[in-house]
Amino acid sequence: MSQGLNLPVKPQPAPQDELFEHLVESSTDFAIYTTAHDGTATSWNIGAERLFGYLATDIIGSSADVIFTEEDQAAGEPRTEREGAARHGRAANERWHRRRDGSRFWASGSLVPLRNPEDGFVKIVRDRTEVYRANAALRANEERFRLLATSIPQLVFRTRPDGHRTWGSPQWIDFTGLTLEESVGLGWLDAIHPEDRLATQEAWEEARERGEYYVEHRIRRGAEGEYRWHQTRARPVDPGRDGAGDWVGTMTDIHDLRGLQDRQGVLLAELQHRTRNLLAVVQSIASQTIRKSPSLTAFRNEFEGRLQVLSRVQGILARSDHKDIDLRTLLDAELTAHGDGALETGRITVEGPPVVLPANSAQAIALAVHELATNAVKHGALAQDSGRLAVRWDFAADETRPGVLLEWNESGVAMPEDASPRRRGYGTELIERALPYQLRAKTRLEFRPDGVRCTILVPVRAREAESP
Amino acid sequence: MMNEVSSSTGQEAAPPDGLRGRRLLVVEDEYMIAMELVRTLEEQGAEVFGPAGSVEDALGLLEEGLPPLDAAVLDINLRDERVYPVAEALAARGVPFVFATGYDSAAIPAPYSSAPRCEKPVDRAQLARALARIWSR
Repeated sequence: MSQGLNLPVKPQPAPQDELFEHLVESSTDFAIYTTAHDGTATSWNIGAERLFGYLATDIIGSSADVIFTEEDQAAGEPRTEREGAARHGRAANERWHRRRDGSRFWASGSLVPLRNPEDGFVKIVRDRTEVYRANAALRANEERFRLLATSIPQLVFRTRPDGHRTWGSPQWIDFTGLTLEESVGLGWLDAIHPEDRLATQEAWEEARERGEYYVEHRIRRGAEGEYRWHQTRARPVDPGRDGAGDWVGTMTDIHDLRGLQDRQGVLLAELQHRTRNLLAVVQSIASQTIRKSPSLTAFRNEFEGRLQVLSRVQGILARSDHKDIDLRTLLDAELTAHGDGALETGRITVEGPPVVLPANSAQAIALAVHELATNAVKHGALAQDSGRLAVRWDFAADETRPGVLLEWNESGVAMPEDASPRRRGYGTELIERALPYQLRAKTRLEFRPDGVRCTILVPVRAREAESP
Repeated sequence: MMNEVSSSTGQEAAPPDGLRGRRLLVVEDEYMIAMELVRTLEEQGAEVFGPAGSVEDALGLLEEGLPPLDAAVLDINLRDERVYPVAEALAARGVPFVFATGYDSAAIPAPYSSAPRCEKPVDRAQLARALARIWSR
């Protein structure tokens, strides 16, 4: 190359170099100039004019060292470069350069001695600012990625599109206890739960089609540690490369979230069970009420009353979060619904210690009390001014287990002669059959001349019987 | 008490005696639902044993030695107990069963999740079909 660069020191070109002269002169992307051995410019092409901002007429005869930055000039870089070129036949470098207006640009330069070193050098400079900036941006991106990948709580990895890992973040190493060397390739699968490994690998096949990897699997903490559920996602770094390039992924700990989801699933199943069971109860009440109702009007009254009991009980259960329920709360709700102010006037007395009953006995007891109260309003203590109703309860035990004895005592009632057969129906069945069946309660229902008396002995767990 | 009111209105259109001669055990803790199930099954000609309202009662009935059963209809949640010990005892005796429950199959553990299941409130025709299916296997 140097033989073709036999540029004359003087402006008159030799004829055989005319073609080359034109080439150099018209080259706009490259700054090409020659200097004397001391750096004095001797020729200056159009590319140099464009790049450095000095016209050939301005600089020829002056030192071309002005294209170096002030720092480089002060450090003697121009001279060092010339000495290097003279010694090694060429000096190449990338550095900041300076334009006439003081602005700087990044350029690669090459300084070559002319055939006769005494004649000086030829220098070719190309603006590389764009490439330099792109590289700098790339470095900054990589630094940002490294910073992000190593500071987020997720476990980050780089991988080939087939799951062969090329890098794992320090968090991965910390969490699994696997070193980078142990993790690369398919080594990382060692930390995946054996039952999840197949799905983990199969997800890569799907990922290559979808352009995104997704799997939920268990990852072992430490060599002997617990497995925790993680959600792993990965995407190609450069989707334009048709999936052939590296993928970057994260593994997020979703163990606690899954635990919550599982519990929510259980709650939902329970809710569904309760709802459907309640519907089945409604269905059976409807069907039994139909069979015992002489008319549609009678059916409507009875059925609506019973639905309202279920509704009140649901309200009480909801407030107690379906845990133990307070007997007085349950009784008050029913008596208030039927008593028409009789609670306040003293015609009804309600007495008993605080007692909690299991939630699943609430419905049956409330329905029984509803039937008793309905009867009292129609024919008994709440139908006649002289009538009185006393509802009392206390702790009591039968031979085998602790219980609560609930007494319903009507008095001062002139019972109609045929009262007992008329009310022998749904309410009677509920008290005499349903409570013993469902709650193992012992019940007794009497239609006495001065009113109805009913006793219900409900077994409770020992803890409930100890209530203050 | 049920006997005195068993006059059927006839508006439910299931085969009147599709269960004629079948011996069935009913396990259901809610009395009203149990009575309804018993009535439905008896109306279709079945001979019903139980109802049992708890695992203990159901196992007790099986221990006592019932005549050979054709099938059982089981509620799953019995006063906070699960019916599975009864299902196991039935399976050991070769008695097939149908769940009548408010639970979805997803909430039922293996191996019982694959057992026939009627959703509450139970439709009598659906229950009859489920029983017919287990007998036709």
